[in-house]
Amino acid sequence: MTEISYQQLAWPVRDEVTQAHQRSWRRLARPGSWLTGAERLAVAAEARHALDCPLCQRRKDALSPRIVEGEHDSLGALSAAEVEQIHHIRTDPGRLTRDWYEGLRQAGIGEERYVETVGVIANTVAIDTFCKGLGLPPWPLPEAEPGEPSRRRPAAASHRLAWVPTLAPEDAVGTDDADLYAGRPTAAHIYQAMSLVPEEVKGFFDLVLNQYLPPQAMADFDNEYRAINHAQIELVAGRISALNQCVY
Amino acid sequence: MVTADGAHDGGIAHGDLLIRFANAVLGNDGVELAAAREAIAEAMGGPALTDTAAVAALFNAIDRVADSTGIPLEDAKATATADFRAAIGVDRFAAAGEKGA
Repeated sequence: MTEISYQQLAWPVRDEVTQAHQRSWRRLARPGSWLTGAERLAVAAEARHALDCPLCQRRKDALSPRIVEGEHDSLGALSAAEVEQIHHIRTDPGRLTRDWYEGLRQAGIGEERYVETVGVIANTVAIDTFCKGLGLPPWPLPEAEPGEPSRRRPAAASHRLAWVPTLAPEDAVGTDDADLYAGRPTAAHIYQAMSLVPEEVKGFFDLVLNQYLPPQAMADFDNEYRAINHAQIELVAGRISALNQCVY
Repeated sequence: MVTADGAHDGGIAHGDLLIRFANAVLGNDGVELAAAREAIAEAMGGPALTDTAAVAALFNAIDRVADSTGIPLEDAKATATADFRAAIGVDRFAAAGEKGA
């Protein structure tokens, strides 16, 4: 099992970042809610492989990704629709459309597997990009742990907010998923985005809290919590989102 | 225009270095990324570099969560930011029409 450590770096990494990465890597190998451990690792490996896919590069360079036809260069462990999902999200996220999502659904991807796959991609990107930024190679993927996914879907999930079903905070009250919002009556849409698979929300936001800021710190401009200040944090975040053409 | 065209520092201390790093970490030029990294470490210190990398990496991921699930911007945020979103060109992003921004 690969144990992530940044002690070899010339610059100090906060312990909570290292520990969050270690937890993420352990989760990656375990059976999830809708994917086995082996499937989760196949998604992570495919997300990395997408960066060298010639079709993705031609689509990225095209005025519209839809006018470029061809087959993805894939690792062969996942279906064509799953590869399309992973490659497009990894290489050209700013041009995803609802029609594209619906096409994947018609091609057989279940909405729960879709959301869990998004979560695996997000965890992989967050850690791989951190390593790239600091001049480190990507961490080797861990070995898959045996077992079956729980296949548990929040009963109160609905199609009110996004392309994918989500669990609204008010609908979670009194359900088995009430802990997701800890009694809060509202939550940012980004927190609700993967709530069809609550474990992916919890896992990804473990990275959010430690790589970015906890909620109580975001608007506490009287104090600084990182080695860069609020304005510098938001400048970096805003520039990355502009480069990704993210409108959220 | 600081986040949209990346050519300014936004009036933020070391903003030019932070934008240079953000551009480089999403790019394919290893030499430029190494230079951007060293520039932050020298001017701002090692902890600032690793926290910059952490934020950049996190937002490279969170953008994908937002864009692949189709969540809209919250109404209150959309209203409060309408003027400068238009001014800096966010409304011209391809996803703007998809997410109702």
